[in-house]
Amino acid sequence: MSAQHDKQTVLVTGAAGFVGARVVEILHLTGAAEVRAGIRQWSSAGVARLARFPVDILICDVMNKTQVEKAVDGVTTIVHCVLGDGKVNVEGTHNLLEAAKKHGLRRFVHISTAEVYGEPSGEIAETTSYGYTGSEYADSKIEAERLCFEYHTHGVPVTILRPSIVYGPFDKMWIAYFARRLQSGRLGIFKGYGEGFCNLIYIDDLVQGIWLASNHDAAVGEAFNMNGPEIITWNEYFRRLNAALNLPDLPEISPSRARFKAMSRDVIGSTLKVIQSHISERMKKRLIGGIRRTTMGRVADSARSSMNLAVELRELDHVYRRKAIYTAAKAQRILGYRPKFDVNASLQLSVAWLAHHGFLA
Amino acid sequence: MNKNNRAHSKSDGDTPRIAIIGCGAFTELFYLPAFAKRLDALRKLILVDSSAERLQKLAAENQVSTFRTNYHDVLDEVDGAIIAVPHQFHHSISMDFLRKGVHVLCEKPLAESPDEAREMIAQAEKSGVTLSVNHTQRLFPANIKIKELLIQRKFGQPLQMSYAWGDAFAWPTASGFYFNPKTRKGGILLDRGPHALDLICWWLGCKPDLVLSENDSFGGVEAVAHVRLQSGDCMIEVKLSWLNELSNNYSIRCELAEINNNFLGWWQLPIRHKSGKVEIVPLHSSERDYNDFGLKIVSNFIDVIRKDDAPLIPASEVIPSIELIQECYLKAQRFNLPWYQNLEVPNVSPAR
Repeated sequence: MSAQHDKQTVLVTGAAGFVGARVVEILHLTGAAEVRAGIRQWSSAGVARLARFPVDILICDVMNKTQVEKAVDGVTTIVHCVLGDGKVNVEGTHNLLEAAKKHGLRRFVHISTAEVYGEPSGEIAETTSYGYTGSEYADSKIEAERLCFEYHTHGVPVTILRPSIVYGPFDKMWIAYFARRLQSGRLGIFKGYGEGFCNLIYIDDLVQGIWLASNHDAAVGEAFNMNGPEIITWNEYFRRLNAALNLPDLPEISPSRARFKAMSRDVIGSTLKVIQSHISERMKKRLIGGIRRTTMGRVADSARSSMNLAVELRELDHVYRRKAIYTAAKAQRILGYRPKFDVNASLQLSVAWLAHHGFLA
Repeated sequence: MNKNNRAHSKSDGDTPRIAIIGCGAFTELFYLPAFAKRLDALRKLILVDSSAERLQKLAAENQVSTFRTNYHDVLDEVDGAIIAVPHQFHHSISMDFLRKGVHVLCEKPLAESPDEAREMIAQAEKSGVTLSVNHTQRLFPANIKIKELLIQRKFGQPLQMSYAWGDAFAWPTASGFYFNPKTRKGGILLDRGPHALDLICWWLGCKPDLVLSENDSFGGVEAVAHVRLQSGDCMIEVKLSWLNELSNNYSIRCELAEINNNFLGWWQLPIRHKSGKVEIVPLHSSERDYNDFGLKIVSNFIDVIRKDDAPLIPASEVIPSIELIQECYLKAQRFNLPWYQNLEVPNVSPAR
């Protein structure tokens, strides 16, 4: 398929992040659009990733109205991929929408999340109402969406995308972190816990959705779920990632054992946090050392690394058991969205990326 | 070493007057803490940076009374200059000081090409001053010990070497010169390559042949680079990354033993002998952190100017690594990265 003749200039905010960087890469490499990569600061691996391409990179902290104004000037489209704390998610989106309103863009694509539905079950379409959960991330994304809809009524051509679990090369969470957990033996087949649905969307399928949302007239003022072509359980995901990594078969973990381990991890984690909060930075450095670690420092490093890989109770109760399917039928019907990467194809590329970057050494 | 006829002409008493050109993160974290331990030199120190705001902040925090926004203003005022600006300016600024008969200590990379480096060295000789470079890892006791062991052929011939240095880029660069399309020129190979490739050339005492150079540039600056080298029967592999953590180790396998160490493990040297015995050689080092080596560099530079001491790392010694870096860029191939193949976006009428 070919790129557009009527070339857009796209500002990608949060361009150093996992989603933003891939949007920049694909739009640049396919020649689909002129890309302006908006970043918060130069000091980041994500910026090093972007700088491999001859694209325009500029500082655009969405909390800084002057920077936003400058970044938005002259673009046709904004793809808003910033992921920050609650304040950034809401106020930053507001700042961008204001600039978009002033400059009269063709499209404002807001990357939201399927988490705006809370913790539902069953098939979840866009008509499902918001579900506040107390999570700063999800609740602030709801507020950001509300702002988007409000600005749509003021003439900003907004489209909202609600991706499920986005994974693929450069994904530090569902690929790199879970690979490390599998390598360390922290994951298994969680009997009684891991049978919830794992709604995976390969990053390039999401970029396809973003491009469709950026261009399709019928997308304006709408929200769309974004999901992959295949829904599997979490246990199945662990099994397939494990196989792609060429690791020995996963053991089954009984519900009581999984729960006991997760509770132990949480108790140790909370205790360590309390201890840490009572030690000054100076004392911490004395106890654990700098680059040259003390014995206590080495023990602490090892304990922290081990704890970071262990499964949390929150995961067992709120993630791996959730029986929700976020249907992308609306995007398929209206935008012609066709996800192409099934789980195995996605994992093959992701594991190739892991190997290239030395994660599997 | 040539004595600089003009040395001390700008100083009152024994302590030379030094200017630091460029007040970015490295100056703040490495050089200024070192000068704080050399109060004699700190009193005469001049800070130079194009940002007056940055200068005022650093000068106030470090009790430096003199600062300028243009290095041309100090060319006639100083005995020595520490060049800590983005690397594309190393050559031109160093040359200006060298022409004025000022000793120069330059951050790595000394220059972006061997020709530039040679020109700088020739100018230093002509002016009768020293030109040295800060390759901090050369000062690590572990790396010095390796050099000794290899020279003495203590464990026989080296057969295989590897060096891996990677982490998610987090250097608090204020200017973003590495990545900013307006200033960038060369990526990780020009940033970390000088350390890695210089150590290898220095340890071996020669410049190895380049076998393969691969990186991930798509027309911008590379964030990951792999280099394969060969020196006699010794195969060498270097992996550098700004994107994620690597093993961050080096290993040197010789006929009779293998050294395997964290690349920042300067205080000890783990050696596995062919017999299977593992020996950890402790090395004397008072440095607790990387930046503590700044004092060694600064003190040496003061003594180079004041007492005609030899520089710790003369510029001429790093020429092989600069040549190697240039070769790596000239012969670089892009990695096979399947996640960048067959990319497409759907054909759809654009929004109006």
